[in-house]
Amino acid sequence: MTQRKRLSNTQSSSQSKRQPSSSVPLEEEDDSTFTQPSTSQVQKGLEKFTPAQVDQKTAEVVQFFLVRDQKKIPVRRADLVKHVVKEYRNIYPEIMKRAARTFDQVFGLKMVEIDAKNHMYILINKLETVQGASPVNSPANPKMGLLFVILSVIFMKGGVVRENLIWNTLRKLRVDAGEKHEEFGDVKKVVTDEFVRQRYLEYGRIPHTEPIEHEFRWGQRAEVEVSKTKILEFMGQLHEQDPESWTQQYREAHAMSNSTQASTSSQR
Amino acid sequence: MKRARGGDNEEAPRQNGSASRRKGEQQQSDGDNSGGDFGPTDMQDEDNDPGLRREIRSKYRDLINSVQQNREDMLSLSNNKLTEVLEEANKLFKDVRQAREAALDAQLLVVATDLGKEKASQLFAEGTAFDVSAFTEHLLSFMGLNRLEDGDNEQQNGGAADGYLPQDAWHRVAKRAEGCFRASPSFHYMMGSFHAEPPPPKQKIERQRKAPSKEAKRIMPTQLKKMEDSHQETTEKEVERILGYLKTYYQDDPTSPISYYEFVIDPRSFSRTVENIFHTSFLIRDGLARMYLDNAKFPCIAPVEEGEVEAGGSCSRKQCIVSISPKIWKELIEAFDIRDTLIQPSNTHNE
Repeated sequence: MTQRKRLSNTQSSSQSKRQPSSSVPLEEEDDSTFTQPSTSQVQKGLEKFTPAQVDQKTAEVVQFFLVRDQKKIPVRRADLVKHVVKEYRNIYPEIMKRAARTFDQVFGLKMVEIDAKNHMYILINKLETVQGASPVNSPANPKMGLLFVILSVIFMKGGVVRENLIWNTLRKLRVDAGEKHEEFGDVKKVVTDEFVRQRYLEYGRIPHTEPIEHEFRWGQRAEVEVSKTKILEFMGQLHEQDPESWTQQYREAHAMSNSTQASTSSQR
Repeated sequence: MKRARGGDNEEAPRQNGSASRRKGEQQQSDGDNSGGDFGPTDMQDEDNDPGLRREIRSKYRDLINSVQQNREDMLSLSNNKLTEVLEEANKLFKDVRQAREAALDAQLLVVATDLGKEKASQLFAEGTAFDVSAFTEHLLSFMGLNRLEDGDNEQQNGGAADGYLPQDAWHRVAKRAEGCFRASPSFHYMMGSFHAEPPPPKQKIERQRKAPSKEAKRIMPTQLKKMEDSHQETTEKEVERILGYLKTYYQDDPTSPISYYEFVIDPRSFSRTVENIFHTSFLIRDGLARMYLDNAKFPCIAPVEEGEVEAGGSCSRKQCIVSISPKIWKELIEAFDIRDTLIQPSNTHNE
């Protein structure tokens, strides 16, 4: 029951993500510092700037995104307007449109609004990674392995897990949350702070527990960036089992990948 | 802990009533029976046995702790531990008579319900259930766990399944996981980022250190100059000057007493008079001058001779506050017929 409910929730939220414009008027109320200018205002505003100025501002936004993306912390619209867009704020939608186009056509990246309420954006890779054929043999970030394990357990356990399950799982993998790990340092901080700020994970208190307990869910970034189908494939490979044998997870992964494929194809 | 007996009698049946409601149908007959079995006298004895109550509470706490600590085990589908715990709780509840123990029972129920909910969610899962311990075992193999050393480590680590993980264990997982992430490759400058910021703070620190020292040097002399002119110094000078006057007047005619008022009052300036009174008070305080009343009960002042200083120190000291107002000042000038001041204003003041 709860799982089915959650599934429909994520679906509806992913739908709202794909059509942020339809829900904008309601959510604008939360953003007191900035109100999205109307199309006519943008048109008027564009007349004030030369095309070169607009291009320059767009380039600045692109660079801001790229630098922010180094640490995988989502870009907040409020920060973007305050630090980069500044006096160009009345043509903000146009600048964002152009920046998104640059990411799409030049970098092969896609700009996604992961939080329609707080207006947060991330970049994801549009290109599929080909197995074993990484053009640049860049050293893997071991933290991604840690994150991957946590996301896998959450997904396979139906979307929500108590933090104890995660800590116990990691302990079995020789990673103790209470000790300093040679690769990850303060594991607890990496998991409950860094991954949460990057929006890979959600870490929340479980109501009515004594002593206080927390639970993990997938964060908004994980929902758009991580492929459930591929996680399931890897699980099958590990367990030497058909991915379809986890019926529920398989169904969820399949529904998700269909919807994301649809959204990416519509972009093209 | 002491309660009115009447209160207990009222409370006990209520608890039993709620117990039958709470424990559900299977427990209903039990609860009702125990409620009926005890007469008022029985209950009074048992209700107030602190030892028994303490024992019940302790058992409840143990039960709650064991449930919370062995959570993972209890969730396992292969055992009936949750049922066992609930049966144990039912046994304990037979002896529960008062609210405090009943509250613990309720707490246990919350924990047990929570476990039950989670167990139920496992049943809902269709298809193969995901076994985390199997997952970790497979993953350890994937990471390249060297199980050959299991035997040695098992003895060292007290049976914990251990093995040797290669250095790149997590890199392997990360490498494999990359395919599942559609993460944007992070952007880095080929020659590293332009580290413009680290050097300036160092310079700033140096500048900040140097700057205050220079200023301090410059300020120091001016401060000292001001110190010399400070009020305390001028006061000391004035006090000494006045002592000089007092001594010369006294030496001129040691036999005739010097009237205090004639000495301090400047008939031309009220403020000078106040200053004189102020400065003279230091002479009195330091024991360099003494005041006394003459035959007509007018205050007189005289310097204290060098030899007398110590003797004066042993005398009992007295304090008094001299007050003067322009009105009194004028009256005194008339009364003593003061024409001129005995203490000439100092040169600095004239200038």
